[in-house]
Amino acid sequence: MARPPSKSKGSSLNTFYGILGVIAVIGAGAILYQMYGQGSAAMQPVDVPIDQAQLAATEGISIGEEDAPVVIFEFADFQCPACGTYATFVTPLIKERMVEPGLVRYVFYDFPLEMHPNSFIAARAGRCANDQDMFWAYHDILFAQQSSWSLERDPIGMFVDMADEVGLDAGQFESCLRSDMFAEEVTRSLRLGESLGVRGTPTLFVNGRRLPSPPTFNELEVIVQNAAGLSQAPADTAAAPADTAAAS
Amino acid sequence: MDPLSPPPSRLAIAVAALLGIFVAGYLTIYNLGYLGFVQCSTGGCETVQSSQYAMILGTPVALVGLVGYVLLFALAIIGVQPRWVAERWIAIAIALLSGVGTAFSAYLTYLEAAVIHAWCQWCVVSAILMTLIFVLSLVGLRSSIAMERQITTSSEG
Repeated sequence: MARPPSKSKGSSLNTFYGILGVIAVIGAGAILYQMYGQGSAAMQPVDVPIDQAQLAATEGISIGEEDAPVVIFEFADFQCPACGTYATFVTPLIKERMVEPGLVRYVFYDFPLEMHPNSFIAARAGRCANDQDMFWAYHDILFAQQSSWSLERDPIGMFVDMADEVGLDAGQFESCLRSDMFAEEVTRSLRLGESLGVRGTPTLFVNGRRLPSPPTFNELEVIVQNAAGLSQAPADTAAAPADTAAAS
Repeated sequence: MDPLSPPPSRLAIAVAALLGIFVAGYLTIYNLGYLGFVQCSTGGCETVQSSQYAMILGTPVALVGLVGYVLLFALAIIGVQPRWVAERWIAIAIALLSGVGTAFSAYLTYLEAAVIHAWCQWCVVSAILMTLIFVLSLVGLRSSIAMERQITTSSEG
């Protein structure tokens, strides 16, 4: 004969489902809070010893006034999704509200991560665009279309198409990309980042101080204002790099 | 005990697997770029997550873990239903899957300690959860054998 369902068994399973529900709500809430809320880590910059000779020998790509009171270095990887998010949502605000008013000079350094097979050639592509004074436009399109080329076995064709799209001389760009041009510059940039303790991307330095994790724009604004108010001479840490002014 | 009551070990496995889903899911979301950074009190999460060992055959290791936890959670939930509670294959499947997961977690923990020289707290939490599930699954295997005997005895009686 069929056994009637036990009341206590049903209620203990209900308690069990209740516990699972509570865990699910808390877990999903915590993740969503970090994704869309203010759940970011404390933003206390870390002092990092900078080797001036190595810095001077490493070519970054800069935008902004040479004598801006605050200098931000960004170490980024074109294939890193977090860098893509940063480039899409934060970098335009930095350019508009910090670089254009003359408060900040922004210097981009390549930090192609080993785990991303196309990031080194993407970094070289950025440098080839910089050779035609179009780094930032190319930077924007590389990040905007990151998902389309990231998994390509041979992304060179797509890189050339993007170069054409932003108005670069595609032939010159392609011959640059198919050579080993700027491989040394990208490698030097990577080595500089490693020596400064960069482990992940994007990593930012404000007047030579490393931020432990990428800040939101609001957090960065506070850090930059504090840095601008300090009596530190940014030229001590930032005038030396052999950065090239690129057209924005 | 009611022979068709779900063993407490299986309920605990479901809870641990759900926690694992969120831990592995958090790291997967980070790896896929939907989080700018990963909360990390040990300070080594980004080092571990940006190392070559964070990917396996082009797939983030965290995603592999997420799939494993989802399967374990599904098996545990199926296994607490009265219709399935006495099925021994569920206990065996959970034990096999979590056994592989524990061995893999042990290898990843070794990499953190000896090769990468950095600790990712979420990876450690995941390793602990997977080991816990494996231990509970062994307890569950014993319970399922006992349950099968009990059912056989009561049907004979």
